Amino acid sequence: MHKLPYLTAIVLLFYTSLPVANAGTLEEVRERGKLRCGIVESSPGFSSVNDAGQRVGFDIDHCKTISAAVFGEIRVEYVPVTPHTVFTLLQSGGIDIFPGGATWSFIRDVSLGLDYTGVYLYAGQGFVVRKDAGVRSVKDLDGATICIAQGTTLEQNIADYFNDRGMSYTPITFADMDKGLQAYHADRCDAFTNERMSTAGRIARWPDRDEHLILEEVISKEPFGALVRQDDPRWRDIALWSFNVRIAAEELGINQENVDDVRENTRNAEIQRLLGLHGEFGEKLGLSNDWAYHIIKLVGNYNDLWERNFIPLGVRRGLNASWKDGGLHSALPFR
Amino acid sequence: MTKREIAYQAALLFIIGAVVYLVAVTTQENLARLGVDSSIDFLWKRAGFEIGQALIPFNAESTIARAFVVALLNTLLLAGVSIVCASVLGVIIGLARLSDNWLVARLATAYIEIFRNIPSLLQIFFWYFVVLRTLPRSDESIEFFNCIFLNNRGLFVPALSLGQGWEWIVAALFLGWAMIYFLRRQERRRHGTPGFNRAETTGTNPLASWNLLFLAGAVGVVILVSGAQWDIPREARFGYRGGIVMMPEFLSLVVGLSMYNATYIGEIVRSGFTSLPRGQTEAAASLGLPRHLTIRLVLFPQALRVIIPPLTTVYLNLFKSTSLAAAIAYPEVVSVFVGTVNNLVGQPVFIMAITMAVYVFISLCIALFLNWYNRKIALTVAS
Repeated sequence: MHKLPYLTAIVLLFYTSLPVANAGTLEEVRERGKLRCGIVESSPGFSSVNDAGQRVGFDIDHCKTISAAVFGEIRVEYVPVTPHTVFTLLQSGGIDIFPGGATWSFIRDVSLGLDYTGVYLYAGQGFVVRKDAGVRSVKDLDGATICIAQGTTLEQNIADYFNDRGMSYTPITFADMDKGLQAYHADRCDAFTNERMSTAGRIARWPDRDEHLILEEVISKEPFGALVRQDDPRWRDIALWSFNVRIAAEELGINQENVDDVRENTRNAEIQRLLGLHGEFGEKLGLSNDWAYHIIKLVGNYNDLWERNFIPLGVRRGLNASWKDGGLHSALPFR
Repeated sequence: MTKREIAYQAALLFIIGAVVYLVAVTTQENLARLGVDSSIDFLWKRAGFEIGQALIPFNAESTIARAFVVALLNTLLLAGVSIVCASVLGVIIGLARLSDNWLVARLATAYIEIFRNIPSLLQIFFWYFVVLRTLPRSDESIEFFNCIFLNNRGLFVPALSLGQGWEWIVAALFLGWAMIYFLRRQERRRHGTPGFNRAETTGTNPLASWNLLFLAGAVGVVILVSGAQWDIPREARFGYRGGIVMMPEFLSLVVGLSMYNATYIGEIVRSGFTSLPRGQTEAAASLGLPRHLTIRLVLFPQALRVIIPPLTTVYLNLFKSTSLAAAIAYPEVVSVFVGTVNNLVGQPVFIMAITMAVYVFISLCIALFLNWYNRKIALTVAS
């Protein structure tokens, strides 16, 4: 951890000082035979290792989605990143995509040389507090000491929220979310703030989980999008439309289980185009025409991802439901 | 130097220069191609975040440059306090290892062997969570004299908040003190250098004690004239407010860094003393000097010449390893600048370059100061 700055600097100098060939990312990935996907390690629900030693989670499924679209099978090299290294690794081509919870904000989009590929999760910054502290809403936290993790827009959000309301707080800022949570658990802080869902995932296994409360309120919108480099529009299209396949599939009633069945029997023209029966949409992206079929078959639709990763942690879909159910996810049309 | 040697060195210089130039140019090109801003204008933008410990006023409206200064001061404070603590502890440990007392010597050896062989990052984590887990919660604080409070949120001590115009009074007093120092020096010159006479070193020199008395009186005058008040920590909704707070992060870092580096300093001190011929101790004893004065007046000044050069390395290492603080939320340069600010503005090249330059600069200052000191004592003692 302490070597981080130096390592980052070396990685950075190494990559940014190499003359980068302008080959398309898709060709590079194909040639390499593997997708290099940046992930954040150990965040239950998003990215963790199961008892069988396999990587599982919502973020992992995004990596698999892109791999399924490109290769028709899962061929992913997972590259663990930290908030310190991720932007540099992306800029320099060390990873092809980062679907690990980066908030889509103006500054990041326009000044980092990176592009977002749509919103795959509507998250929000929330707080966890001890029940016996008598805190029921964020407004009760005036004067509190608050543990924060770096690496996102969290630090600014909380400063904005408290300053707007004339409230004060003492930030204890950790480089790493787990250290921040540990410190909160050891009563260093009155509250811990981070993205609500990842916090819920992490504290789910605490023995004294019942003594803590996750406030209902969120103080910021955190729309998460996967990041790619800005200089390859084709690759961005592939990522954006691959993620869109899963939402479209849910709207069209196709899931991991019934996809073979649907492909054989459907008469719906959009489904036929989506599954590559005609229209040759895959080829237009430089992929095979059954790219979307592979995504649904190997990873599933958006609901499949949710059921697999978040339901076990007791997190419901809320804002992340389909627009048909009052949520925010709405598929872009395949036509 | 022959012509050929000069040619070789010129060629080497040229190659190094060319490599640096190429790296710089391609970096610039690649960043421009990626559409990454590359200028240091971000330093003057609004920070938009808060810092947990700031020695100068800072809030979210301040500039990023100010955030950098705040972080740098935190680094310097941590380094300064740790260097002092490590040195004191190191000298004690070093002398203890040389002690004739069997138990003391063995304990010192055990201490060195244990703490020298554990990575300092681990020690810092250990002390941090020991500090957090063993200190009581805020509502069960340990109290001293009803104005100092210790709990898992830190050590709260009263602060002296001075009234208006205190800067001028302090400045005037400083001037007065400087004049006294000057007069005293002239006095010394007229009567010759006192050297190691017993009266001065044991503090019975009338001028020296007068000096101290003056200083104490001066502080009193400042407090009275400026209408200063004690700012005593008091209990608030969440823990204590007011006074000076020493964060648990700071305390555990000072403990961790001092205990680790004291092992090296202890060994250096020991090597310094063992390098002196035994005759020095015996000569001092034959003059009737007691043990503690032998160490202070005879052995230590001579040992310093051996101690200072390797001590420089330890101080430099300690200064650089304050960057470990980023791991436990102490807001120093790496945490604030390479962490928070880099996330905010996404300009790793500049941020790394600035941070590294600052470390190099301060390290060189430390080295220069100690080299100067080394030359000074080498001259005066060796004559």
